[in-house]
Amino acid sequence: MPETKNIAVIFEGVTVELGGVPILDRVTAQVPRGGCTAIVGPNGSGKTTLLLALLGQIPFTGRVVINREPGAAAPRIGYVPQRLAFDRGLPMTVMDFMVMGRQRLPLWFGCRSGYQAQALELLAMVQAEGIAKRQVGALSGGEMQRVLLALALQQKPDLLILDEPAAGVDYQGELIFCELLDRLRQQHSFTQLIVSHDLATVTHHSTYVICLNHKVMAAGPPRDVLTSETLTATFGLHMGLVASHAMPGAGPGCTAPCCTEKEDALD
Amino acid sequence: MLLIDFGPLFPTLVSALLPFECLQSPFMQQALLGLMLLAPMAAIMGVQVVNFRMAFFADAISHSAFAGVAMGLIFAVNPHWTMLLFGLMVGLGIMVVQRRSSLSSDTVIGVFFSAVVAFGLAVVSRDRNAARDLQRFLYGDILTIDHDSLICLQILFVVIMLFQALGYNRMLYIGLNPLLAEAHRVRVAVYQYVFAGLLSLVVIFAVWAVGVLLVTALLIVPAATARNLARSAGSMFWWALLVSLTSAVTGLILSAQDWARTATGATIVLVASCWFALSLVLTCGRGRRQG
Repeated sequence: MPETKNIAVIFEGVTVELGGVPILDRVTAQVPRGGCTAIVGPNGSGKTTLLLALLGQIPFTGRVVINREPGAAAPRIGYVPQRLAFDRGLPMTVMDFMVMGRQRLPLWFGCRSGYQAQALELLAMVQAEGIAKRQVGALSGGEMQRVLLALALQQKPDLLILDEPAAGVDYQGELIFCELLDRLRQQHSFTQLIVSHDLATVTHHSTYVICLNHKVMAAGPPRDVLTSETLTATFGLHMGLVASHAMPGAGPGCTAPCCTEKEDALD
Repeated sequence: MLLIDFGPLFPTLVSALLPFECLQSPFMQQALLGLMLLAPMAAIMGVQVVNFRMAFFADAISHSAFAGVAMGLIFAVNPHWTMLLFGLMVGLGIMVVQRRSSLSSDTVIGVFFSAVVAFGLAVVSRDRNAARDLQRFLYGDILTIDHDSLICLQILFVVIMLFQALGYNRMLYIGLNPLLAEAHRVRVAVYQYVFAGLLSLVVIFAVWAVGVLLVTALLIVPAATARNLARSAGSMFWWALLVSLTSAVTGLILSAQDWARTATGATIVLVASCWFALSLVLTCGRGRRQG
């Protein structure tokens, strides 16, 4: 178990009931600072509810603590929702979208050049610099996720929370998105908390895993946690994982630092 | 005295810029001033009403006018003031229940809507004179706007412009996704309550001008037109302002013509609806060119 100063988030006995139905049952877990923690579990297991409790958007009993580093200011959160349910007919450019949270001057007077430059920089960071003038409603699923990631990064987050960020994005798009996240995490040293039901992604990119099915079934580094027994207990089916390095001629390779470092270590 | 005492300036300006015979009488100039304050407020708040999909909310507030009049009758107070107070209470009440219950927002609004209309009708049905009084609020009458109402409109205009200047961008954020906005440190609850309160006041003032039946149109039609014509979040504001002001002035002038003699509120909404039809044609044309 990591030392307290190395813990970014502590969930302590978090319980959520909706209409008398228990969604989370005394969930106690920790999110190590600086890594990528994945919350995995079947549909309806309470993954998103746990995030909502963390964001203070749902009533719960128990305790959620977002730990601040000694001497640091209140931790900042960046959030990337699963799917942004919004009115796609709204006339709004990606630039408006990026600037609206930063600029006080109302957008009827246009976007100030300083904020525009910051927005372009963030969009470039997520490889979306060419879409600043596009309408938000006309973006594809993958483009929208990258813009949402740029919006979250605008917060200069200490904790980046992603709720199934690759839902609705094809495999290639998901791979690129995860690689991008890994690079950004290493560059900006934030803690990443990601909800996913995609075990391949989790195995590939996470440094810590919380298996959830209304309660915590297991938590720890992926190699220790993603065992056939834990997965069977969590998902209720007989499951196992195949080590990607054991696959002959595996598909598109990941170029993220996490993977290249793993490969170097294996060599 | 008006907050901004237009003195002889306003009539001179009207004569110079809008040299229509019908606009030379003081009561028409009073109505014009009232509309030039009310229409932009309704349009700008309407942009957010459209973004938040709150048209039904505005409808519920406007129908609370019945209950407001009934309260005035019960307490023997000028119904204008009880309408304002009751509208404000209903608006904030809806927002409190909406935020705290798991019911969908249209269900909550529907319950409030039914309750306030039923309350108003129950009280008014006991008094025939009051029923006649209610008709005035069904159709509205901007031509009878009084001095006190103009002062209130000016104060409300300043407050709403301040709120919009400080909160337009944040309101856009909340309109897109309140959870995302809250996670990114926007004070969603504060903005939502202030917006609900101000919107309630605008709606009740609009009821005086265009009546219960057309108040939602005054909010929605300019904003919907702006949505069709605008290409960015900022330009939507300017389009809504342009459509509402031109509709208000043109509607007032047209309704006063001998050949028309139509209700002012209805004429304003008809002009705004023509703007909307034009915007639809332009949008279709734009879509075809892009296709």
